[in-house]
Amino acid sequence: MSQPLLSIEDLRVEFDRGEDTVYAVNGVSFSIAEGETLGIVGESGSGKSVTLMSAIGLIRENGRIRSGRALFQGKDLLKLSERQLEDIRGREIGVVFQDPMTSLNPVMRIGDQIMEAMLAHHFCSHREAFERTLQLLHEMGIPEARARFRNYPHEFSGGMRQRIMMAIALACEPQLLIADEPTTALDVTVQMQILALLEEQRRKRNMAVAIITHDFGVATNFCDRIIVLYAGQIMEVADTGSFIRESAHPYTVGLKHSIIEIGHRAKPLKPIPGMAPTVTEMPRSCSFAPRCPLATERCRNELPQLREIGPGHWVACHRAEEVLEDVI
Amino acid sequence: MIVAIAVSQPQAPARRARRNSPMYRAWQRYRKNWFAVAGLIWVIIFFIIGIIGPWIAPYSYTYADFLHMHSGPSWQHWFGTDTVGYDVFSQILYSIRYALEIALGATCVSFLIGVILGLWAGLAGGLIDIIVMRAVDFMFALPSFFFALILMVLLGKGIFPMILAIGIPGWAGYARLIRSLVLAMRNGEMVEAARALGASQWHIARKYMFPNVVGSMVVSLAFGIPYDLTAQAGLSIVGMGLNPPMPSFGNMLAQAGANILGFPWLLYFPAGVFAITLLSFLFVADGLQEAFNPKGGV
Amino acid sequence: MFYVKFLAKRFVAIIVTLAAVIAISYVMMYYSPGGFMNTTQLASALAPLAAQDPAAYQKLMEQFQSRYGLNLPLWKQVLLYEWHTFTFNFGNSMQNPTLSIMSQLKGALPISVFLAFGSVVVSVVIGIPMGVIAALKRNSWVDYLVTTLSMFGQAIPSFVLAVLFVLIFGVVWQNVLPVTGWGTPADAVLPILSLAAGNIGVVARYMRGSLIETMRQDFIRTAKAKGVKYWALVIRHGVRNSLTALITVIGPQFAFTVVGTVWVENIFAIPGLGKVISTAFTNFDFPMAITAVFILGATIMLTNLVVDLIYSWMDPRVKLQ
Repeated sequence: MSQPLLSIEDLRVEFDRGEDTVYAVNGVSFSIAEGETLGIVGESGSGKSVTLMSAIGLIRENGRIRSGRALFQGKDLLKLSERQLEDIRGREIGVVFQDPMTSLNPVMRIGDQIMEAMLAHHFCSHREAFERTLQLLHEMGIPEARARFRNYPHEFSGGMRQRIMMAIALACEPQLLIADEPTTALDVTVQMQILALLEEQRRKRNMAVAIITHDFGVATNFCDRIIVLYAGQIMEVADTGSFIRESAHPYTVGLKHSIIEIGHRAKPLKPIPGMAPTVTEMPRSCSFAPRCPLATERCRNELPQLREIGPGHWVACHRAEEVLEDVI
Repeated sequence: MIVAIAVSQPQAPARRARRNSPMYRAWQRYRKNWFAVAGLIWVIIFFIIGIIGPWIAPYSYTYADFLHMHSGPSWQHWFGTDTVGYDVFSQILYSIRYALEIALGATCVSFLIGVILGLWAGLAGGLIDIIVMRAVDFMFALPSFFFALILMVLLGKGIFPMILAIGIPGWAGYARLIRSLVLAMRNGEMVEAARALGASQWHIARKYMFPNVVGSMVVSLAFGIPYDLTAQAGLSIVGMGLNPPMPSFGNMLAQAGANILGFPWLLYFPAGVFAITLLSFLFVADGLQEAFNPKGGV
Repeated sequence: MFYVKFLAKRFVAIIVTLAAVIAISYVMMYYSPGGFMNTTQLASALAPLAAQDPAAYQKLMEQFQSRYGLNLPLWKQVLLYEWHTFTFNFGNSMQNPTLSIMSQLKGALPISVFLAFGSVVVSVVIGIPMGVIAALKRNSWVDYLVTTLSMFGQAIPSFVLAVLFVLIFGVVWQNVLPVTGWGTPADAVLPILSLAAGNIGVVARYMRGSLIETMRQDFIRTAKAKGVKYWALVIRHGVRNSLTALITVIGPQFAFTVVGTVWVENIFAIPGLGKVISTAFTNFDFPMAITAVFILGATIMLTNLVVDLIYSWMDPRVKLQ
């Protein structure tokens, strides 16, 4: 298999809150291949955003990367200087953020904001950047590109702003696109449009996409592979098909049972009891145990390691085999 | 038997609920700011001087020591003497007294007028309200100093006229505050919610309204004093201050151009004391603002 | 089109305010103990002239009478005066009845305007970088220094600083900078510095606070993710967005600075509008005094108008009211 595009190895990230420390990412490892779509699924606080954001150096002031590597094109991103990271961000790796309302500079014309991405990397000449911007706007489905170039963010709807964000992210033809909750802030109908657009662009450019989301309907519809994060650790990794047919982790199963599906009216809702924890101590046992219907002594004492129970299907649970056999 | 693994959090020591009122907490915040505390100490000193000044001054401010005119600091005249032989130290002591008198007086005048107009506007509503608010806008359009200057012409020179001249134009800020308080009491959402729970009007006022506004009021008043001090001195500089021999900082500072060649102490001391007075009041006001308004200012 | 409506409304407001100020001032002068509107006062002011040249004296008295309509009821006098003022027909001053007010002001106004605007420019040029650096190096010694300096600068009124400068450059370090008079560029240095110190403090403080707030916004994160280099990020995204908050504070600051020029001109013996005002008031030369206040007031309000326009230009989200 060829070298993966991005490879995260045993990443650990913590946040210093003064009176205590939050262990946001506790030993996460995964990789993304070229042209692949990966879904990173988890609840708020599971560490899904922090993982990728810290890889490219975009974490908050009080965040510290304790250990781990983030290999991108052979280089460890975590060891790069800020300048080097600046070169990669926007050029090789593009990011689309969650809230298009606040993620665009309100006093700068959107056309200029898109051009800035190219000019900052000396991607092409000024003239070319202008043309490319118009083209991007057109590709993103924004009509009257030439006129709209001069508009400001507040003159667009939410969906359009998200398209502009995508234009910015794609401007320099990155190899990897990170989409952090790209649809969460949008109306449902618009969500589908954006995802479709994302898929179209991915295919055209043969770009790898990492979608971070708490909505695994989005993940299953869109991604080749899915990773489930909980309390800063990977609970399960599988390709989408396996994921849907045979989940091997109680948490994943619980997630599937707790969603509302159209057409299944009489299906009882079974939420997972309890709340996702804020991890203030290094995990020494299964973080999900307090809420898990299958939890045993072993689960409460021993940290389950990520192990392979099928081709390309990894899980971190002591009782994964039983889950597979539909015990729950 | 299952032994729980999770380590329980150590218990936080129980808070001494001795005095946890908003006032006390504000005081705690105030204490942290050393400029504000230093300012407060000086302010107290100045008030004391203001009160006992005439008794501790070595010379009356009208006593002209002809033998020692224009002399520098010495044992007889700690801060030296001026052109006519007045003892600078005594002049300064008296100045503090009058300056504070005027500043406090003016602030009271502003406050009174402001409260009356604000209450009227808030309670009467309608046309009166509109008129008063337009008047407030008008007052804010031009610097109050100009109004004070014009009033001085009308009222003539002297301590009481000065109090009025500086005080009258200052009503606008207080009026706005009071008016918003009155309006909030009549219409606010908090009021409706509290009423829905059965609280009486007075109770609502006491617990919800006053604390919010008292803070802003106190801060406004606190800032009013340094403004008045500045305005007084400013009037003197323009020549509309107190007539000599009444001592005032402004007059002393205004001598700057004319007389200091050769007699710099005539300036050092008054300027220094004036600056310290002003700064202390300002630090106190700043400290109060931060204390009552923790996100305070910028 | 929209701008025209806005400007029109503002102009009307300005005129109304100025008219009110003039009316109030006039009435105050009318009733003041040194009231000039009665002829006896005028007579005594012109006494020296009476002695020298009785004919000219008579003529001036009549001129004065008719011009101000001193025989008319008060309200008519006020209206007459308003009309004169707004048509820039200021008449003659009372200290020098032969000279027109206009000629005396013509030289003085540019000086004061220069001082006031000059100090605003200086304060912006120095204050903005100060604020930016303090914000970027938050809680470091630099930040602490800037914040403290700003605090002191804001606290000390311009005349105290002016006095201090006179002390320093008039006594201690003579011949370094001129302390009185007005003729060379060097004369402008100390007055502008005294005026600017306070403004620098305010500008730095607001810039710092505003920038800190701005840098916390999401779009900064987007810009970082785009790969925008550090200083470009700070300036084009950070500062640019923080400027609007700053503009709102410059308007009121300007008004205060104008008051400051009145003081500073007196201390540094500069023949600007401030000096004119003080001599006018102390000598009970009311026409001059009211006119000077009118001019200064108009300057302040017009500047505020310009500031509002700039603000709307800078922030495309704002709609003028």
